[in-house]
Amino acid sequence: MSGSSTRPVRRRFPEGTTAEDLKEYMAPFVATLGYKFNTESEFVDEVLTSELEILEKTGDVFCPCRIRTGDPKEDAKIVCPCIPFYLEQFAAMRKCWCGLFIRTDVDDGAELLGVIEEPEPGSAVDVPVCRVEDLPDGQVRHVKIGKQDIALARVGDEYFALSNLCRHAFGPLSDGILDGYYVMCPWHGWRYDLRDGTTDHPDADVRTYEVTVSDGFVLVRAGL
Amino acid sequence: MAVKLFALSTCPYCRMTRKYLEDNDVEFDLLEVDLLEGQERTDAIAEVKELSGGTSFPVAVIDDEVIVGFNKKKIREMLSL
Repeated sequence: MSGSSTRPVRRRFPEGTTAEDLKEYMAPFVATLGYKFNTESEFVDEVLTSELEILEKTGDVFCPCRIRTGDPKEDAKIVCPCIPFYLEQFAAMRKCWCGLFIRTDVDDGAELLGVIEEPEPGSAVDVPVCRVEDLPDGQVRHVKIGKQDIALARVGDEYFALSNLCRHAFGPLSDGILDGYYVMCPWHGWRYDLRDGTTDHPDADVRTYEVTVSDGFVLVRAGL
Repeated sequence: MAVKLFALSTCPYCRMTRKYLEDNDVEFDLLEVDLLEGQERTDAIAEVKELSGGTSFPVAVIDDEVIVGFNKKKIREMLSL
């Protein structure tokens, strides 16, 4: 459908929404991503006050530190909390762009205020992708980091991450069945070794990612 | 030295950057992009994208150097403050 930008944003929050309402709405959501509100409460209130002004003008809580371009696809990526769209960058910065949210293991958010240097392109970063309790033993789930679709699997207390696309017919390995250290593609049963991404057919291996666990979160190493 | 600051009226780091420059008596041109309308706004966004590769603020231009975000250290270095 073309010309969709002519339709205004449909307002998501009712009249009279307060900063407290936004906190209540956002906190549980960002917690699943490994973030919390900045410990500097005055700064948080300043940002949320700006977001409420923007909500009045535009119909949604766009980031106060980025500009809406008028392209709905681009603008959707700066609706607060925008963390899912900038996982690697924010993981490296240990906060979101404006600093409203900081990583859960940062004790003093004041230290991150004003330090807004972006990480070097090409450097590796461990990106929190889910809480340990969100991935039970023997299960596999889909996570997305930037443009990369990843199947994240748990075997006991070991975690594995590999490219989500089966090389046979591009079935989603994250919907597959785990059998020990192997995941079977749900479409035609191709089998991949979680530990190194190898499959039974030569030259059809998938990429693997380094996985670590820290502070109750599963982190996948990605490049910036 | 020519200093230009692209900012948003809603952005705390833009306010910090602005205050830092003012406190240090640095003369600068200020453009609050979110307060612009129509073609002016479109042009300003295009300029910010061209300079910084994105649409995040603040963007300070000191001579030919582009500084994205409130980076006190870099600003201080550039302006020998």
